[in-house]
Amino acid sequence: MGASKSLQTTSEHDFEDLAERTGFSLEQIKNLHKRFQWLNNHQETLRREDFEKVSHLSFNPIRGQIIQAFFDKRNFGKGEVGEVDEIGFEQFLTVMSHFKAPNKKITEEETEAIRTHKLRFLFNMHDTDNDGTITLDEYRHLVEKLLSTCETLEEDTAKAIADAAMLEVAKITVVHMEPHEVYEGITFEQFQQILKGIEIERKMNIRFLQMDTTPMRCGK
Amino acid sequence: MMHLTFLLLATVAGEAVADLYVTEASLPPELALSVPPVPTPSAHHQSEYEPSGSVRSGRSAEDSPATTEHGESHHGGGGYKIVQWEWSYVQTPYIIAIWLLMASFAKILFHFSQRFTTVVPESCMLILIGLALGGVALITSKVPLYQLDPSLFFLFLLPTIVGDAGYFMPARLFFDNLGAIVMYAVVGTLWNAFCTGLCLYGMKMMGVIDQKVEGGLMEFLLFGALISAVDPVAVLAVFEEVHINETLFIIVFGESLLNDAVTVVLYKVYISFVEVGPGNVQTGDYFKGVASFLIVSIGGTLVGLIFAVILAFTTRFTKKVRIIEPLFVFLLVYLAYLTAELFSLSAILSLTFCGIGCNKYVEANISQKSRTTVKYTMKTLASIAETIIFIFLGISAMDKSKWAWDTGLVSCTLIFIFVFRAMGVVGQTWFLNWFRLVPLDKIDQVVMSYGGLRGAVAFALVVLLDKKQVKAKDYFVATTIVVVFFTFIFQGLTIKPLVRWLKVPRGSKRKPTINEEIHERAFDHIMAAVEDIAGLNGYHHWRDKWEQFDKNYLSKLLMRKSVYRKSELWEAYQKINIRDAISVIDQGGNVLTSARLSLPSMASRTSFPEATTVTNYLRENGSGVCLDLQVMETVPSVKVEEETETHHVLAGNLYKPRRRYHQSHYSRHFMVMGEQERQDREVFQRNMRNRLESFKSTRYKRHKKDRSQKKRRGSDVKDRDLEPNDKPRRNVSWQDKDPVAVPIEQEDTKGEQPEVEKEEDMGITFVARKAPDTPLKERPKSVPSGLEGCQSPTAAPPSPTCAERNLPWKGGMGTLPVCVSMEATKIIPIDLQQAWNQSISSLESLASPPVPAEPQHPRVSALSRLGGPPVRPLSAVIPSTAILGAAGESSSTSSPAAPPSTTTSSTTSTAARTDSGEFRFPGAEEEDESALSQQQQEMQPLMSSLSSSSSSAARAAPPPPPLLGQAAAARRRNPCVYLRNLVTTPPGNEPYSRGPTQL
Repeated sequence: MGASKSLQTTSEHDFEDLAERTGFSLEQIKNLHKRFQWLNNHQETLRREDFEKVSHLSFNPIRGQIIQAFFDKRNFGKGEVGEVDEIGFEQFLTVMSHFKAPNKKITEEETEAIRTHKLRFLFNMHDTDNDGTITLDEYRHLVEKLLSTCETLEEDTAKAIADAAMLEVAKITVVHMEPHEVYEGITFEQFQQILKGIEIERKMNIRFLQMDTTPMRCGK
Repeated sequence: MMHLTFLLLATVAGEAVADLYVTEASLPPELALSVPPVPTPSAHHQSEYEPSGSVRSGRSAEDSPATTEHGESHHGGGGYKIVQWEWSYVQTPYIIAIWLLMASFAKILFHFSQRFTTVVPESCMLILIGLALGGVALITSKVPLYQLDPSLFFLFLLPTIVGDAGYFMPARLFFDNLGAIVMYAVVGTLWNAFCTGLCLYGMKMMGVIDQKVEGGLMEFLLFGALISAVDPVAVLAVFEEVHINETLFIIVFGESLLNDAVTVVLYKVYISFVEVGPGNVQTGDYFKGVASFLIVSIGGTLVGLIFAVILAFTTRFTKKVRIIEPLFVFLLVYLAYLTAELFSLSAILSLTFCGIGCNKYVEANISQKSRTTVKYTMKTLASIAETIIFIFLGISAMDKSKWAWDTGLVSCTLIFIFVFRAMGVVGQTWFLNWFRLVPLDKIDQVVMSYGGLRGAVAFALVVLLDKKQVKAKDYFVATTIVVVFFTFIFQGLTIKPLVRWLKVPRGSKRKPTINEEIHERAFDHIMAAVEDIAGLNGYHHWRDKWEQFDKNYLSKLLMRKSVYRKSELWEAYQKINIRDAISVIDQGGNVLTSARLSLPSMASRTSFPEATTVTNYLRENGSGVCLDLQVMETVPSVKVEEETETHHVLAGNLYKPRRRYHQSHYSRHFMVMGEQERQDREVFQRNMRNRLESFKSTRYKRHKKDRSQKKRRGSDVKDRDLEPNDKPRRNVSWQDKDPVAVPIEQEDTKGEQPEVEKEEDMGITFVARKAPDTPLKERPKSVPSGLEGCQSPTAAPPSPTCAERNLPWKGGMGTLPVCVSMEATKIIPIDLQQAWNQSISSLESLASPPVPAEPQHPRVSALSRLGGPPVRPLSAVIPSTAILGAAGESSSTSSPAAPPSTTTSSTTSTAARTDSGEFRFPGAEEEDESALSQQQQEMQPLMSSLSSSSSSAARAAPPPPPLLGQAAAARRRNPCVYLRNLVTTPPGNEPYSRGPTQL
């Protein structure tokens, strides 16, 4: 872990407040707060450079987009748009809350809401310019990044794959389009549709407890 | 009917003898049963030659050869016999073969009735067949026939099934749920074993179980151990038909595999305890038992992984000996099993982990054909083994001498295994749900409890018991049989309705789409990143670490260099492409209509302004040119139509004599693509092309062309039939390069080395092989190179790349000469794209005449073609004219403001019906325009086969150079677009402006 014991700048009360807003438990918030402080060297805010401290992240091909998600106002749940240069702990927590495991007993509608919430986060991550669609360019960028670990694959491959994927989306989602209509890119509804085979609400969960033990599910 | 019964009986009897023969020893003496004399036809035959042995009792396998020799010696003195009866010689394999054949026939019969199969599982049916056979044997002979032999089962039948399951195990899913699986396998099995054993002993003490069932605590614990393990064969057989969701399936199935270690150890420990007597067991022995468990399980896993590494490493070097690749897979996987058995480790664990471990690397290393071979052989073997197991189980059940009934024991066992299974599952799930992010809900638990199926493993283990030590063996056997039958018949029959009733989420057998692949991958990275940021060393973190390790070290070690470079995403993409291509063929192009979308801007590079917004136009232009070509009506001139037809007939039915046998020698080591195969491939491609062609022509001139099309089809069919015997006939149309021009030697020298690999890497005919990308890239744009490429003998599909490079209107970009050359050299396909091109080429049977080497202004080239030698008869003309005509007619509003090229050509056009309206550019017509170009793009390769240089081409398809050039370039860059929907529409008026920016 390496999260050092910190001078608790935030009081317990604040934590409770945050817990109410984000749905995290107090323990989780404490853990995350430790981490937050470790990341930014006990500053008030977190900047992009601070993520460089996470050494393992440097292997991640799409780290750019992931880090960007932390500075994207859309993910702060305030309905704002744009990006910021530094975030406080609350924003950090809000972004993290997208990965919170849902409560064990929830209704269908809640599940659906959680699913939409999580998918929206992913969608925002891919929709970099916030125009409501993942355009072909953005999609290509994503695939390129994903393939960037394979140094020998060329740009064109990524393009071709992205193009094919885009076409697939169009094929699956657009049943009928009016003449002269233009397929701009993947909208959020279409995004939901193409990912309905993946149980995001079951997968996009991270236990923020037990920060130093590996959960049961840990395979290899 | 009687006759049939006898025949069956004979087979069964023979089988018994045969199997005694095969697994000579290791059979208890009472199994050496005598087979009654059966008046089968074979017996009659036999008697002709063997008077002394007319009553041929297969008393034992050892006897029969002697008998035969005896009989032969009687006769042998008499002189030379024309026909000899060599039954004893062929007996064993013969009977085995007949056996399998019978079982397979039974399956065929069984699957005749669709309704029946949906209700009754196959395993159930097979067991019933076995029961019937056993019953017949019992009635006829009054002696038991055969019993599932444990050594046969453990050495041959079980590994085939488990091997298949392990090799094709979804590794990701397995490891995602490994915690739960291990928990259920170890804790659950221990729990079941102890509780069942103890409670049965308790029942015995209480007198519920008859006193005849002799046995102390150890015996009952032993029985509990062998009866409590969930059986992989049963789980596979029953669950595969239920299509339960994959998480649930993998948990139950994984448990059934991994509990083997527990079962083996418990079984062995108890047997040794029974041997020494319960009184003599020391405390140390229990610890030995625990140690033994660790060794057996971990050792088994390690053996499996070691063999997996060996296997993967071996397949790295099988490039030259593709033909034995599958053999390596089978041998090493089987050896993993045997080695584990040799050291009395858990063989199933070993086999499972060998399969899981090697799969990724082996699949990447071996050729597509080997992959298919491995897959089918494994599935076939597993299916055979399963069939044998079930039938034998049925037969064994009729062996009355082997079992003794005790109602108390049977009913108690049934109740206990059920109750304890349920309790175990609920308890463990409760515990696991503390840790699982995705909790297993009640329905899951019910299915898991109900899915605790017992099967052949338990039976084989119980048969293996030594009656001298375990006095109650017969009772145990009977109970096991009942439990197993209950499993298969009752649970097998009811699990489907139960699952339906509980509304258990079903799994779909659908393959993931490209998008899902992409997002899953991205998602994995996101999860790993978030865990890293949060400072968690969670599951995703470790999986990511493992993937890094795998990528950096393992894959480097175990995969071929060529494969290692490829990404898995790429592989997935490739597979999806292949699938799509196949579906295109299968549906005769119908897929294409459904996809009427387009990504025009995909034609352009990102640098191009429009690409930033990259919009995908969907066009269904009701007003003008309709993309739904079914709707479009055209009235082509009679002459044009005639020409088309002639062209089609010629193109479709002529084979080119150009191809040579570059590797005609017989080779054991290479899978030489035989002439037959090559022709098949051609035929295949031609069929494909035909379908597309006809598809198109129906779209374009549906009402007109129907009849002629039928005619053409008919001739095709005829032709197809002829082909195999008719080698000289070759297809003219799509190997259009000048045949004589290239000497055969060139083919040989050129094609030879890359040849082998290339060919064999091709799984499906039209799918691309891994082609040398760099050479292609650097190859100058010249005729010879093009010829080389196209003449490459492997090349079922003529390489489209060279063709396109050589064709100005294909390779060129619009009207700018610079672009032509630049594009031609620059946008040479990389691996993927070439692959695509090839698949496309097979679709479109691209044709390309040799053209001048230097980049030419397309328009110029069009003109020159105009004046060029019209050697070749007909051309693509017709379709394109058709389109153009249609375009012209339908969009009467179009202004004749056409570029020079258009005007030129239309003036030269003899059939100037199109009124130059076909190439309208500006404004409102833009979309029509692009649609048009798109259509032409599709048509062009198909139709223009021979005669790109013919005057008619230039005449009738005036704008091809810029138009098609652009379109083709677009397609080349995004070949997928082409196949995925033929109706891609690059913005029609773009070429001029776009050209330079593309670089």
